[in-house]
Amino acid sequence: MAGDIVLGFDGSAGAKSALEVAVTLARAFDVTLAIVFGYEPNPMGGETSDYQYQLKLLGEGFVNAAAAEARLVDPALDVEPLVVGLRPVDALIETAAEREARLIVVGSHGELPLVGTILGSVPHKLLHHARIPVLVVPRPD
Amino acid sequence: MATTASLVGVSAPAADHAPTKGLKTGALGLVSSIVIGVASTAPAYSLAASLGLVTAAVGLLAPSVMLLAFIPMLFIAAAYFYLNRVDPDCGTTFTWVTRAIGPKTGWMAGWGILITDLVVMPSLAQIAGQYTFLLFGANGAANNRFWVGFLGVIWIIVMTAICVIGIELSARTQVGLLGAEIVILAIFAAVALAKVYGSHIAHSLRPTLGWLNPLHISSTGALAGAILTAVFIYWGWDTAVTVNEEAKDTKRTPGVAAVLSTLVLLGIYVIVSIAAQAFHGAGFLTANSNDVLNALSHDVFGSGWDKFLVLAVLTSASASTQTTILPAARSALSMSVHKAIPRRFGTIHPRFLTPAYATSWFGVLSIVWFVGLSILSNEVLLDSILALGFGIAFYYAMTGYACVIYYRRLLMKSLKNLVFVGLAPLVGALILTWAFLDSIFVYSNPANAAGDQVWFHFVKFNVHIVGIHFYADGLGPPLIIGLGLLIIGLPLMLAWMIRHREFFRHTAERAESLHDAAPPLTPGAPVVTD
Repeated sequence: MAGDIVLGFDGSAGAKSALEVAVTLARAFDVTLAIVFGYEPNPMGGETSDYQYQLKLLGEGFVNAAAAEARLVDPALDVEPLVVGLRPVDALIETAAEREARLIVVGSHGELPLVGTILGSVPHKLLHHARIPVLVVPRPD
Repeated sequence: MATTASLVGVSAPAADHAPTKGLKTGALGLVSSIVIGVASTAPAYSLAASLGLVTAAVGLLAPSVMLLAFIPMLFIAAAYFYLNRVDPDCGTTFTWVTRAIGPKTGWMAGWGILITDLVVMPSLAQIAGQYTFLLFGANGAANNRFWVGFLGVIWIIVMTAICVIGIELSARTQVGLLGAEIVILAIFAAVALAKVYGSHIAHSLRPTLGWLNPLHISSTGALAGAILTAVFIYWGWDTAVTVNEEAKDTKRTPGVAAVLSTLVLLGIYVIVSIAAQAFHGAGFLTANSNDVLNALSHDVFGSGWDKFLVLAVLTSASASTQTTILPAARSALSMSVHKAIPRRFGTIHPRFLTPAYATSWFGVLSIVWFVGLSILSNEVLLDSILALGFGIAFYYAMTGYACVIYYRRLLMKSLKNLVFVGLAPLVGALILTWAFLDSIFVYSNPANAAGDQVWFHFVKFNVHIVGIHFYADGLGPPLIIGLGLLIIGLPLMLAWMIRHREFFRHTAERAESLHDAAPPLTPGAPVVTD
């Protein structure tokens, strides 16, 4: 729904910090919080079905736990856990576009920029590609 | 997002909560499928590794072998196409054979995939190490077993790490690299042929149609050996057949992509092998079988430009390493999900989201295998490629048989079914079975062994049974590697079977439809992330 907040969640420490912030913001704006896990196997190397299925289960575990935690903070909060079969950045951008969201929230891994470049930093790519504001929450020290 | 050339067609985010197997999300278009199919087969690397071995077996008839080996591969492609249609499982042959024939045979087919992926690694590492030195003009190091081995090990470590971490090149980069590989091979063939016709080159020959006639091959043994070598060069397009497909064209793209990519490959292989042997004759290729494309490139292109072909071989080898490690890990993941091997092999790394455990294991085993073979064998490349032929022929033939057996009820429904689902896979499987068996006889005879090394000296026999001469005086490395690794699977399977019965309780099924998705082989298994 228009005005939603979209949170990218991969179970990491940074994502947990982002979850806290996203819950606070969703309550303040009184909007739905969509908790998104995006995944997509490398298309090189043949059939991926079982692999994708395992990734989906993994993602469902992550977003369902995050949703449960959010509801613990505020049982009245509207939370939607989503598993999307796209690369993480695309999953967030697509979900945000579809819902006409107001904000994307992600956590950072707190790694060196070079490491982020090699591993493919989601916040970095989001900042360049997203068409709505992006909030990056650092992980706790 | 719109500006990034993702390999993935834009599909709506699917908030799919139903735990269905065979979930289709990451989807590929036809062109990308072809690109990946050709990249998986790695033409420049395949030619670099095998051209000299094919000419060693059949001389100037190498192009005819390229044509001939294409036939069983095309027929097996049909089996992949129809089996993948109803069961797109990343266990591929493992899952299909389990369904069609039974769990024990299926387990062995899965084992065949894993060891074949393992056996190719030394040849990839060898080529990568050697051609890296050649690229920088370090010809001494390129011929030094230690330094090539050293660089080869680093190569395996780096490529495994890339697969564990899940670093991917963008689609545009991949298409660019692959395109460059094909263009360079095409220019190489064109320049070589132009020089053959235009100027006097030592030992050059004008191509004749006779080069394409496999009937001129002197013995069936030479033919079987050459085919076993040549199936290796087409190996890998099964990846294209089994790549995920776009939802709106669910069941078609992979098969069409496989056929088109095989045609592209056929063209490359026949034309390049004609050009290569026309330039200096077949003897030159055989004599330089270790670095055949580098040796030729220097004479065809001259200094400087020849490095482009060396570079093409390297990018080709890197693509091929990736398309070896990824499917090996996914086959292991599938076998683990179906409870055919320990659950840990299905572990997904929570941060990298890759089957990191299976991938790391594969990397470690590859290094052990590569180092061991480099120490024991005088001809790493030759022994690996021939041994590979056994592994590929084994599991491709199993795929062909599985297709016929699985669809047996439907074969008589139409002529099309009979030809494409029945006869083609069957004939493909029979040809590969024949090449497999005949090569055992050929390579057990030291007089025919392609290399000069003998390992198992105690194996000696000389008997005639129903008119066939069985003779061995020690066995060559390719036979021991190729068959030995397959046979090791049997005790491993039995050991697993004794303690873990579940997978082996499957009973063979048969297809009721050519189109409808088959019921899952194993109900959804929980994910493991530790």
